[in-house]
Amino acid sequence: MDAGILTQQTINALTIGAMYALIALGYTMVYGIIELINFAHGDVFMVGSFATLWLLATFGVEGTINDPARLVIVLIAMFAFAMVTMGLVGVVIERFAYRPLRRAPRLAPLITAIGVSFILQNLIQATYSTADFNIPQVIDPQAGVSFTMPTFNVGGFAVTSSAVTASWVHLFIVVLAVAMMVALQLFVRRTRLGRAMRSTAIDREAAQLMGVDINTTIALTFFIGSALAGAAGVAWALNYGHTKFDIGFQAGLKSFTAAVLGGIGNTTGAAIGGFLIAFVEVFSSQLGYARWSEAIVFSILILVLVFKPTGIMGQQLAERA
Amino acid sequence: MKPKPLAIVALVALVASACSSSAATAGPKVVTLGVDLPLSGAETPNGQPTLDGVQLAVDENPVAGYTVKVVAKDDALNGKHDPQTGATNVGQLITDSSVFAVVGPFNSNVAQAEIPKSNDAGLIQCSPANTNPGLTKGAAGLALRGSHPDKIAYVRVATTDDIQGQAGADIAYNVAGAKTAYIVDDTETYGKGLADQFETTFTKLGGTVVGHDGVGASGQADYTALLTAAKAKNPAFVYFGGVTATGGGLLRKQMVQAGMGSIPFGGGDGISDGSAATASSFLNVAGADGDANTYMTVAAVHDIPDAAKFAASYKAKYGSEPGAYSASGYACAQIFLQALAAKGSDREAVRAYVTNTSSTFTTVLGNITFDANGDTSQHVISDYKFDPTTKDWKYFEQKDFTSGVTTTAAP
Amino acid sequence: MNAPRLPVLRSDSAARQWFAGLPSSRTGQFFGNHQSLSVIVGMSIATAILPFIVLLPPFSGFGNQTDFVDGFAQAGVWVLLAIGLNVVVGLAGLLDLGYAAFFAIGAYTYAYGASPFSGNHIPFWPMLLVGAAVAAMFGLLLGAPTLRLRGDYLAIVTLGFGEIVPVVFNNSDQYTNGTNGITALYQPIIPFTSTSFGFGNPVPYYLTVAAIIAIAMALLYRLQDSRLGRAWMAVREDELAAASMGINTVTTKLLAFAIGASTSGLAGVYLSSKLAIVSPTQFGFTVSFTVLAMVVLGGMGNIWGVAAGAFVIYEIQSQGLKQLDGFVGSWFPNGLPVVGHVEFLNYQYLLYGLALVGMMLLRPEGLFPSRRRRAELHDVDDSAAANEELVEP
Repeated sequence: MDAGILTQQTINALTIGAMYALIALGYTMVYGIIELINFAHGDVFMVGSFATLWLLATFGVEGTINDPARLVIVLIAMFAFAMVTMGLVGVVIERFAYRPLRRAPRLAPLITAIGVSFILQNLIQATYSTADFNIPQVIDPQAGVSFTMPTFNVGGFAVTSSAVTASWVHLFIVVLAVAMMVALQLFVRRTRLGRAMRSTAIDREAAQLMGVDINTTIALTFFIGSALAGAAGVAWALNYGHTKFDIGFQAGLKSFTAAVLGGIGNTTGAAIGGFLIAFVEVFSSQLGYARWSEAIVFSILILVLVFKPTGIMGQQLAERA
Repeated sequence: MKPKPLAIVALVALVASACSSSAATAGPKVVTLGVDLPLSGAETPNGQPTLDGVQLAVDENPVAGYTVKVVAKDDALNGKHDPQTGATNVGQLITDSSVFAVVGPFNSNVAQAEIPKSNDAGLIQCSPANTNPGLTKGAAGLALRGSHPDKIAYVRVATTDDIQGQAGADIAYNVAGAKTAYIVDDTETYGKGLADQFETTFTKLGGTVVGHDGVGASGQADYTALLTAAKAKNPAFVYFGGVTATGGGLLRKQMVQAGMGSIPFGGGDGISDGSAATASSFLNVAGADGDANTYMTVAAVHDIPDAAKFAASYKAKYGSEPGAYSASGYACAQIFLQALAAKGSDREAVRAYVTNTSSTFTTVLGNITFDANGDTSQHVISDYKFDPTTKDWKYFEQKDFTSGVTTTAAP
Repeated sequence: MNAPRLPVLRSDSAARQWFAGLPSSRTGQFFGNHQSLSVIVGMSIATAILPFIVLLPPFSGFGNQTDFVDGFAQAGVWVLLAIGLNVVVGLAGLLDLGYAAFFAIGAYTYAYGASPFSGNHIPFWPMLLVGAAVAAMFGLLLGAPTLRLRGDYLAIVTLGFGEIVPVVFNNSDQYTNGTNGITALYQPIIPFTSTSFGFGNPVPYYLTVAAIIAIAMALLYRLQDSRLGRAWMAVREDELAAASMGINTVTTKLLAFAIGASTSGLAGVYLSSKLAIVSPTQFGFTVSFTVLAMVVLGGMGNIWGVAAGAFVIYEIQSQGLKQLDGFVGSWFPNGLPVVGHVEFLNYQYLLYGLALVGMMLLRPEGLFPSRRRRAELHDVDDSAAANEELVEP
């Protein structure tokens, strides 16, 4: 057994999982509050990566930045820009495409969400074309820490280790994602606005009676969820240095699966789901089944839901009469 | 007020004379060259430049006595190539009596739905891009042309994957000297066909394939896990069956990030889409570090007489570099125009002339003749390696694979 | 003590009259009472008339008659898919986002039954039933693990199934010829002759699919009015209440999946016999979503509404949008007034998305909704009106 490879794959999985988790949070928050599967969310993530592309191009950033001070400033600018603009995009979409349909049966906003997804994809396609775009990777993707895992031999069971590289980009993304998730949890649990969000999710009418402004709360939820998707877009750009108009659908689908797996409506569950899906994908590749990874991910999802119908962390919601 | 009878008569006479006068003038005969390509959604970069190549050929090669119109049909449904739509399009081109030939389709599974129809109707199709051997060769090919097995109505100017895959294995084993290889395919017809052929030939030459996996859905961008697993197997060569759009460029880029940049990388003509300066080409996406040590094959003779002239006139008309299959689209159109000039616009006459194994056509891809199955009889593959000074592919040899992989290089 | 009973569709109720679209006249009641017959009559008339309507302008500008008939023969596939999904989503209220999986299963079943690849040559007509049965079986298989799932969890599971099936077909080279698909499928033979349908003439296919649709619709109308149909609607509206009324929600839901899947089995067999090939890339999420959009935009729950909606949407998508360039070009040869030359082909997706959003905002109940749906969405406070139509689908 090669501990080095396992460790390397674990690092890979954590990185991908972090991005899925960030996107999944947006899905789960929106679902929790208005019970809508926001199919356009994956495309918000995609637009976020294009926003990063635009920002770097406008300010003439061409490649890796070595000066740490400048790097920090550029990173802050990238995240702030993408998160704020994507947050606003989310609010606008909610206002015009979903709010009028709040009382409509479930399917109408679902169809609308997919319509919005098409619109976003086509707008980017019209502005940027269907080509692959390179985004300058401001953090050097090859810089990192190399090490080997300890090797030992226990009664014939040998553990070797090839070199493991933990690149700074990967670490940055994982740490950042975890920080954002923690910040989100604190916000939702400790602040007034967070309380408003939770109460709206539990019982919209009662919350209204208690003086919560539903429209603003829902808009805020969309803002935060979309901002997180924007952050995922930046992380994607940093990690892969690439974007294309169709990355939203796949990533969105996997993230949505993550959200469901973890228990939709539950933010901790979304994070867990994101990492879990990433691990399944990575280890499918490790075992040589990369071409089956999609089928494997969904099969695991179905299995989990058979035994735990509300997801890993989902609680049984009261049956509404 | 009652309309004056005289006015009515005058009006009718005027209209009648207008109609008859247009019939009276001889004028060139208007014929239509049908095109069926994927032209919308994610497929636009495949189909549109090819269509442009066809139109350019029609503009630059007039045929005396005929005005050739190009009618393009889009076989993409919801942004993706669709056999159902392709079959419908071919049906429409068949019922349009002014259509004398069809250029297309682009995708092999669309061709599978179209060949039976065009064969049944006797309307000739020339595909600029289909490479799946089963469309023409063997029992599969024969089964597709069930209505008229001996009167084929489908030819193609692209060399089939079973030939190009051999070239890839030849590069890996003989040129790069690799004894082990790891193969990645994009699970689509072209990519998988190429990769499978590479595997067969590489093993036959004496190499060992240490792994062969597929990368699936479009939009997937993460190959780090796959590459980590591949790295552990210590391949001396990595071969990619697929196109840039399904991940070739990203795969190479991430190889570098995974520390595998020094391992040579090879692909087929799916990654032959321009220099490092061309937007979204393989070389561009793979990045400077990735470009080093990469190989590519093109299913054509290298020394094409008019290649530069073609690129120049394409750029003059459309303002961008030709696409990967623009020249092939141009060539298909040239073949049909030459047939039109030689035999007129009768469908059967054109079909018979094009599929006649002794007809030779002068095209921008070189001289083309078709064998009894409709495949181009040209089996020369040109090999290219990345040149860091020009930042582009540089030709270094070509080989004829008519009798398999051990043929010596052609001059 | 009177136990509450499920309301019964009385023959003179508003429901029947509304269905006929005529005021409470004798003819209206006749059609209302004989729904299956009126479906068959209606479909026969439509099938006979359609090829001649397209000879008139403005349709004649879009293509010739043969092309149109071929288009109708294709549209029939989507109509079959839509009326099947309508059972699952519209009648039983089970959100299925992976419906294309059953379509793929039906298509590959025919490929197993009648292709050189498999070595079998079972005739088309029995294969229709086999395909429907196999798809229904898979409907049961998919339905089984989803029984305990609430609405949107069900959606994601069905979505997952819809992704798994094409991947399996794409990668199983030995059984399905993998990504190359299975070709040279045998075409149907005209009954009582030995002539194959052939590739040139769309008319046999057109008539076949019209017949299949008519029979399927007639059967579905019967089902809708039966106990099972009412059980579906009860489960859709309130599963807990339905269970309390003694409805076996397990079998109800399973049958919804099975019967809904069976029409896509029919569609799959029919389409693969028409194209003579089957390829794994034909059955992606886009197909599932398109059928769902057809059901919702057509008028969810209303069988003929969904069929008409599917037909209209398919024609617009495949003919209208694609010919839009030509059509607009003939009216505005020098480009549109403000925006100049617009390549509509490139903006198909955008237009489609805008149309979807627009439809949902303006008319979320769909083009041909059932009366109850329209009441729900437009007279939210007028619960009295809604309560009158107690059993309306």
